[in-house]
Amino acid sequence: MSEPLSPSSPPPVAEDDEESRFAGLEDWIATIVGLALIAIAVAGLIPKGLVP
Amino acid sequence: MSAITTTAGDSTPAAEPPAATPARRTNWIGVIVGLIVVVALAALTRYLDKNVPAWTADTAFGKIAKSIEYPVYAIAIGLIGNVILSALRVRDLLAPAFRTEFFIKTGLVLLGISVNLSVIWKAAGPAIIQALILITSVFFFAWWLGGKLGLDEKLRALLGTAVSICGVSAAIAAAGAVKARREQLAYAASLVIVFALPSIFLLPWLADLLNLRDVVAGAWIGGNIDTTAAVAAAGAIVGEDALQIATIVKTTQNALIGVVAVALTAYFAFRVAAKPAGATATASTVEGASAAAQASKPGLIELWRRFPKFVLGFVAASAIGTWYATSGWEGASANISTLNNLRTLFLILAFVSIGLEFRVKALRQAGWRPIVVFGAATIANIVLALILASILFRTVTT
Repeated sequence: MSEPLSPSSPPPVAEDDEESRFAGLEDWIATIVGLALIAIAVAGLIPKGLVP
Repeated sequence: MSAITTTAGDSTPAAEPPAATPARRTNWIGVIVGLIVVVALAALTRYLDKNVPAWTADTAFGKIAKSIEYPVYAIAIGLIGNVILSALRVRDLLAPAFRTEFFIKTGLVLLGISVNLSVIWKAAGPAIIQALILITSVFFFAWWLGGKLGLDEKLRALLGTAVSICGVSAAIAAAGAVKARREQLAYAASLVIVFALPSIFLLPWLADLLNLRDVVAGAWIGGNIDTTAAVAAAGAIVGEDALQIATIVKTTQNALIGVVAVALTAYFAFRVAAKPAGATATASTVEGASAAAQASKPGLIELWRRFPKFVLGFVAASAIGTWYATSGWEGASANISTLNNLRTLFLILAFVSIGLEFRVKALRQAGWRPIVVFGAATIANIVLALILASILFRTVTT
């Protein structure tokens, strides 16, 4: 069994490219995006009815 | 024998080490088009979720349509999109945009705004106890059964970690810790997804059949299903309380990845590596990025590196939400409602991505024994988690 992995198989630990760098930072980016959205909504900057 | 089921005594590398490849650059056109596809499918999910019950109200399907929750539409639409994009041969081109992990983590941070800190406080104790018992029992069961069936120790470690903690993320952490082969990691990750998908629908159905309280059902789901996105999908099918508890239980398990990674690193460094040369498979190891290199230095830094940081965002959002809901600010209720809609949107994006990412190709590459190990460990996990959730969460309320 030496068939290479398909492009979408998920071993993102080994690729030194932009995609894997994003994967490494994914936790922080998700946290920042989530908290930023909360801050914007709490400040009342998202018009009511804009988010379906 | 396939490379993945290489026994501990087989030193022959069945797979050639991959040649060094230049760093791939991101295909931004693929990312943008892929994002448009994910958002369009999410919009279709929302549209169907809102309208199908009304369209079918006077038909035989009406009652069923009313009970179908949005994760079901999202995953089904994602799977259909997967088939269409694969037939058009563009799926792999767009795949970098199918960011299940990012969407689910952002959605869970947003979920935090609706979870009162007191709920986290009440559920944390039982969640930690449940996680410790489940991880230990299920990991060693998978390890033992894998040994009985002659699996390589690294694959046993990957399967045990994936089935007992949190699926793909845990498998990646374990792969770095034990220097597993890429094929082994891909295989373990594929097993996680293949088993998680039916669990999304099976566990809520069983919870209903067993007449479990939503809190207990959430704890059961959170302690059971391997991927965080699938936990959220199953929890959302049961209801809001189940979603909240399932998320707390799952994130507690996620937080223990670092502990297990450090333990595995130490075990493989001091025991497996001490065996005579050839005792463990040595083909292409997963050590490209920082994972394996840093995994060889167990300690607090490794624990922090493995810690899922979005959990901090979830707790911070919960603290903000707890204060905001009682602050008496004008429009607080409407703003929280807007955030709940945003959260649902991100969860839908994640569930659509589950369907788009799904593929069984890697499963065909490795024979039946790892499937038996993973399946048996999953069943053991289901039974044990049901007992633990019923005991530990019997008095917990949201």
